[in-house]
Amino acid sequence: MIAILVDGIVQGLQLSLMAVGITLIYGLGGVLNLAHGQFAVVGGIATALFIEAGVNPLVACALGILSAGVFGLVVDRTLLLPAYRSAGEERLLLGLLITLGLSFVVNGYLDYKYANISLTLNLATPSFDVAGITIRTASAVAASIAIVAFVLLFAFLKGTLLGKVIRSLIQNEVGAGLCGINPGRIRTLIVTLSAMMAGLGGVAQGLFSSLGTEMGNELTSFALIVAVVGGVRSVNGTLVAGVLLGIINAFASYYVGAYLTLIILLGAAVFTILLRPAGLFAYRT
Amino acid sequence: MSALIGTEDIEVAYGDMPVVRGVSLEVRQGEAVAVIGPNGAGKTTLFKAIAGMLALRGGRILYEGARLDGLRHYDIVKRGVVYVPAERELFPQMTVLENLELGAYTNYKSRAERLRFVLGVFPRLEERKRQMAGTLSGGEQQMLAVGRGLMARPKILLLDEPSTGLAPLFVSEMYRQLSRLKGEGLTILLAEQQIPHALAFTERAYVLENGGIRLSGKSKDLLGDPEIQRTYLGMA
Repeated sequence: MIAILVDGIVQGLQLSLMAVGITLIYGLGGVLNLAHGQFAVVGGIATALFIEAGVNPLVACALGILSAGVFGLVVDRTLLLPAYRSAGEERLLLGLLITLGLSFVVNGYLDYKYANISLTLNLATPSFDVAGITIRTASAVAASIAIVAFVLLFAFLKGTLLGKVIRSLIQNEVGAGLCGINPGRIRTLIVTLSAMMAGLGGVAQGLFSSLGTEMGNELTSFALIVAVVGGVRSVNGTLVAGVLLGIINAFASYYVGAYLTLIILLGAAVFTILLRPAGLFAYRT
Repeated sequence: MSALIGTEDIEVAYGDMPVVRGVSLEVRQGEAVAVIGPNGAGKTTLFKAIAGMLALRGGRILYEGARLDGLRHYDIVKRGVVYVPAERELFPQMTVLENLELGAYTNYKSRAERLRFVLGVFPRLEERKRQMAGTLSGGEQQMLAVGRGLMARPKILLLDEPSTGLAPLFVSEMYRQLSRLKGEGLTILLAEQQIPHALAFTERAYVLENGGIRLSGKSKDLLGDPEIQRTYLGMA
């Protein structure tokens, strides 16, 4: 029981890491990124390629995460420009199509070029015991990575001018403009940062189990569900929703199997939208 | 005295519908000028156009001798033209202090000095500074909106309906503080439906109707104008 719970929390944290990027990009850019899982895969596969090339695994992880960031930066400055030029519903729809197309292209390319590459990171000590419960070292490390990333993200959003600017843009883009804030530059930064967090999620996936080139869509789906349940404009909500859904996921997988699990998660998302249309932790205005 | 800011025959439209038609007005350095008129006359549209949030269909806007129209709204703020809309557009989930700090985004180094100034103007914001902006009363939110505008060190403040939805006590307080700011040399362009307040506070005024300027002149003359009294002040 407790082992499943711990497993769920770890998985949930990882999902949050992915979902927070969807939340930030949607909150700030008005684009629902359907290629977010591909950002994670690009980061993870780049890490695997660096390791294969003989780079020290830790350095390879850093380089892989950086690659995801560069990929995000390029996407923001090229493919997403037509979406940013439009507004409202048009931007959302254009963004959906562009990122959906991007996910196909990335899937196809990786499948064609790196079909046999996957990222599996093995640690020296496979597991340890805490109060009679056996915990996989990989789980503990993956969870720690996610927690540290979230602590840093919260400190950044609360404590720095740039973080406050980001929050102001998410809460009220018009108000931010009245303060003289140019949303374009901040948006690029957020897409890059979100891509790096997705890359980190990809690396954590490699640590937790294994990350293959075909996993992009699956990761996007899970992250999207988490983002919707948490409230697509709330970072706190995303974190809590990720952990909650991670726990549901772990128990459902154990008791009813993997196929039904996705249905159960989607059910939880639909239920949340029916009860609280703007997500669990929607902004009260 | 030359104009600090002036519009020359500007036209603004929403789609095919013209809202501002050929408006020319000017505001001189240190002056307070009112734009009055009924709901739907185009006051807010005019202000949004000056602030760069709506594109002109015709005419031009000059500020300190250079073209202002065509610049992005966030660049216009950097030049010292600061718009405080009637909707306030605050950040509801951020504290009063954070809202004010972001107001100083374009001159962030001097934020501490600006903060002292603004909290001096609106002491109530000092009492509420750790509170979320979304939890403030309407009057306090209006103070915060004006205060956030002042943080940007404006050369001219475009104030759209600062008395909307405020209790009479707050309206008087708001105008007392605006008079003080004007006394310290701030240039103000004001749109207002509380016409007696607006005309008492400003030196000159324009009357906007159906998107065009119907009348203009010294505020105290307009206050005594029989047509204004009949149409806007409900006097027989």
